[in-house]
Amino acid sequence: MKLKQSKFIKELQAIVGEENATDDRAICASYSRDQHWHFVPAKNPACVVRPANKEEVREVLMLANKEKIPVIPYSTGINVRGLTIPVYDGSILLDLSRMNRILEINPEMKTATVEPGVTFGMLLEKTKKYKLRPAFPDAPLTVSVLVNYYLRGIYQTAAADGHDHVLSYEMVLPNGEIIKTGSRALSQMPYFRYGVGPDFTGLFCAHPGTCGVVTELTAKLYRLYDNRKVYFVGFDNVSTPTKFIYNLMNDELAASIRLVDSQSWLKGICGTFDYPYEKLPKFVLCILVEGLNGIFEAKDKLVVGYIKESGGKVLDFPEDFKRTFEEESLGGAEKSCMVFGLRGNYHCIGLYGPLTLAAKYYELHEKTALEVGIPKDHVHFYLDPIYSFHGQLCYVELDIFYDGSELRFGEKLRNYNEKQFQRLLDLGIYGWFRPYAGIIEPTVARIGYLAEVWKKFLEVLDPNGIMNRGKLF
Amino acid sequence: MEREEILSAIYHCVKCKLCSISSFHPNEEWLPLCPSGQFYGYQAFYAPGRLEIFREILEGELSEPSDGLLKAAYACTLCGACYEKCKQITSVEIRLPELFEELRRELVKKGWILDAHKNIVEKIKETRNAYGEKVEYRAKSVYGADVLYFIGCTARYRVPEIADAMLQIFDKLGIKYQVMDEEWCCGSVLLRTGQIEAAKELMEHNIEAIKRSGANIVVFTCPGCLNTIEKNYPDMGVELVHSTQFLTRLGNMEVKKLDMKVAYHDPCHLGRDLGIYDAPRAVLKGVVDITEMKREREQAWCCGSGGGVKSAFDDFALWSAGERIKEAREAGVEVLVSACPFCKRNLREAGEKEGMKVYDVVELVNKGLEG
Ligand SMILES: Cc1cc2nc3c(=O)[nH]c(=O)nc-3n(C[C@H](O)[C@H](O)[C@H](O)COP(=O)(O)OP(=O)(O)OC[C@H]3O[C@@H](n4cnc5c(N)ncnc54)[C@H](O)[C@@H]3O)c2cc1C
Ligand code: SF4
Ligand code: SF4
Repeated sequence: MKLKQSKFIKELQAIVGEENATDDRAICASYSRDQHWHFVPAKNPACVVRPANKEEVREVLMLANKEKIPVIPYSTGINVRGLTIPVYDGSILLDLSRMNRILEINPEMKTATVEPGVTFGMLLEKTKKYKLRPAFPDAPLTVSVLVNYYLRGIYQTAAADGHDHVLSYEMVLPNGEIIKTGSRALSQMPYFRYGVGPDFTGLFCAHPGTCGVVTELTAKLYRLYDNRKVYFVGFDNVSTPTKFIYNLMNDELAASIRLVDSQSWLKGICGTFDYPYEKLPKFVLCILVEGLNGIFEAKDKLVVGYIKESGGKVLDFPEDFKRTFEEESLGGAEKSCMVFGLRGNYHCIGLYGPLTLAAKYYELHEKTALEVGIPKDHVHFYLDPIYSFHGQLCYVELDIFYDGSELRFGEKLRNYNEKQFQRLLDLGIYGWFRPYAGIIEPTVARIGYLAEVWKKFLEVLDPNGIMNRGKLF
Repeated sequence: MEREEILSAIYHCVKCKLCSISSFHPNEEWLPLCPSGQFYGYQAFYAPGRLEIFREILEGELSEPSDGLLKAAYACTLCGACYEKCKQITSVEIRLPELFEELRRELVKKGWILDAHKNIVEKIKETRNAYGEKVEYRAKSVYGADVLYFIGCTARYRVPEIADAMLQIFDKLGIKYQVMDEEWCCGSVLLRTGQIEAAKELMEHNIEAIKRSGANIVVFTCPGCLNTIEKNYPDMGVELVHSTQFLTRLGNMEVKKLDMKVAYHDPCHLGRDLGIYDAPRAVLKGVVDITEMKREREQAWCCGSGGGVKSAFDDFALWSAGERIKEAREAGVEVLVSACPFCKRNLREAGEKEGMKVYDVVELVNKGLEG
């Protein structure tokens, strides 16, 4: 798949305009790495193309398909898993950040339709006047809404939002065909996910890579309430608060519930490094209650009751810590990224599993980390239960905060991963938070014939294998 | 900076791109912060992308100059807005503007320099000022006065009304001052564009001249000169102050309040580099009513002219200034005030078509004193 450079770049420029396609080595170098570089080595794309609309996307894809040139869609490029780093020489990096229109906000339907370059911050700015918000990940609010949802695996800062935020979308395939999913395929009303038989919306999502280029997506919006209250409750271990979390989830009382390590995540939630966190209990459950008048007070009363019987210690934090938690949960993450800055770099295994296994996940995390020589104070934890709590669904994050400039630490992390992926699969998980290169291979080896079907499915959509498949198959 | 230190900083960037927008939560508004990224669009023009280019240069992967490389390296105003934002979220310092200056030094070592920046060296060699002007700006001077006014190239040759105003203020307040017989460029533009060798002779000359003057206080209307002399020159045993600091200290100026509502634009060198945010506001408040713009203080939008951008990428510089003019307009004013000749020059140029008047703080103080 070699690129006939100068002729090809001219053809791309003819599609998107001269200044929006380049094979300049330095410009390409700026896309060569993300923070996952200990696992996905730096590699430059051969050229970068910045289309303005879906017609241009389509033409670029058809040209690439004809020439069998790999294409890597890139919306905001903030993923932390090397997903936009080329695998093959000669790849086209398709930078979609110019496509940043909010196509519709429909307050009656509680939906928003966006292009790939629309970020969470851009979207909230426009939805808040309707007292609506998107479901926020803990990713910085500079990330693409469309991609975050399309990759699936969002773990949201407000547990109440549930797990699925995508209704339907439009995707351009390598052969230039355009697929519309859900009710979008049938009408001008893109507001229903299961329009035409199988859940096609889900089927094309959440691959360790991409099937085509999604050019617009309709997502759910959620209500913003004026009544809010925040509690921080400290615990010395992961198992004690599980009953408490179960009660909160079972009775659907809190909008946001996060069990975090007080030495790491809590700093982002409170928005400052400058506090004697070392004096706090090891884990803190952060709870945000919200709701309509009447309902809010009733929920709050029940929450206070459960706090009393939780066995935890209510922490008296300054008001601005509470405000930051509210903002981060219901207004987009800006300070949460502070955890990345604790030692400079971050590694995590994110997974879905039941609350019943939470303490075991943590135990295993510590055990494996210590075995491979990762110091105990680098080992951290995060748990986020998800409504409507069937299967006691939780997002669990096994974190290691480290200094990436210590290059040998990378070796420890790779050893950690190798052991931990298998051990977690043995212990039992529901699935990975967003499959990616490295984690998906040992997983696929366990899924039997489904792997064959999956592979064939991708071959049908993309017979020339030009789409960025996340290094799988 | 040592190679290891640079690479370590680069390794710590998590590519969150929060440095590209101003703090979101206070107003829940999406307000871009990085002029270079916003104008050019490619990742290369945002801080995280530029860091990757630097890494490839240090690791020997980028071994040839290209148009894109020169543009990515030099079309950054070194405004430091990215660093202010990054500082909030990481306890591991990634000192971005310093890193970008290092990048330029590395390019200069390899001879990868923009013609526009080479020309500045030539002009300075010939005339000792960055604009190649041969006619001296003349000012009367009291030999041996305690206060020395360092005028700077831009106020001498491009916006002399600022120097005029400062001199008139001294006169009106009865402050004896001197100016240097031979004031040479402070070297800021050379240092910012990586051409440190060429700056050495200028610095030596100015150090000698300042010491010789016997002054105890050096006053600057140009924050670029002040920042350079404070950070890049050795300690000369004299106090270095910005005009607005000097004026706030006087305290009891009798200034007539002008019937004017203005927005104040924080110059990057004055604010982010030197931490001077309050003095200009305090002085201005005595003369006019001030309105704040959405992006201010640490998160002010840059006027677009610094870091060698005005001389090499004027379209980008004017676009940036135009964005600031729009913001001032949104704040409901028709007058924009800065405290830097470089900002004034660029903002005025962009504001002309828009009917926005642009002043320096000292010009308004001088007007107030006239009354
Ligand atoms: C500090 C930090 C914290 C984070 N925390 C979270 C978190 O809490 N929750 C969470 O969900 N994520 C988190 N992330 C990960 C990251 O933000 C998400 O993965 C992100 O939403 C996707 O990145 P992006 O939007 O920039 O997409 P990109 O990096 O542009 O792309 C990611 C992948 O999607 C593909 N792609 C891009 N655009 C398209 C398109 N239009 N059509 C089809 N495929 C496309 C790419 O090829 C690539 O495979 C975090 C990241 C950071 C830096
Ligand atoms: S420079 Fe700082 S704020 Fe910008 S992307 Fe890197 S880590 Fe994030
Ligand atoms: S210094 Fe200013 S222009 Fe340069 S990358 Fe940072 S914010 Fe952008």
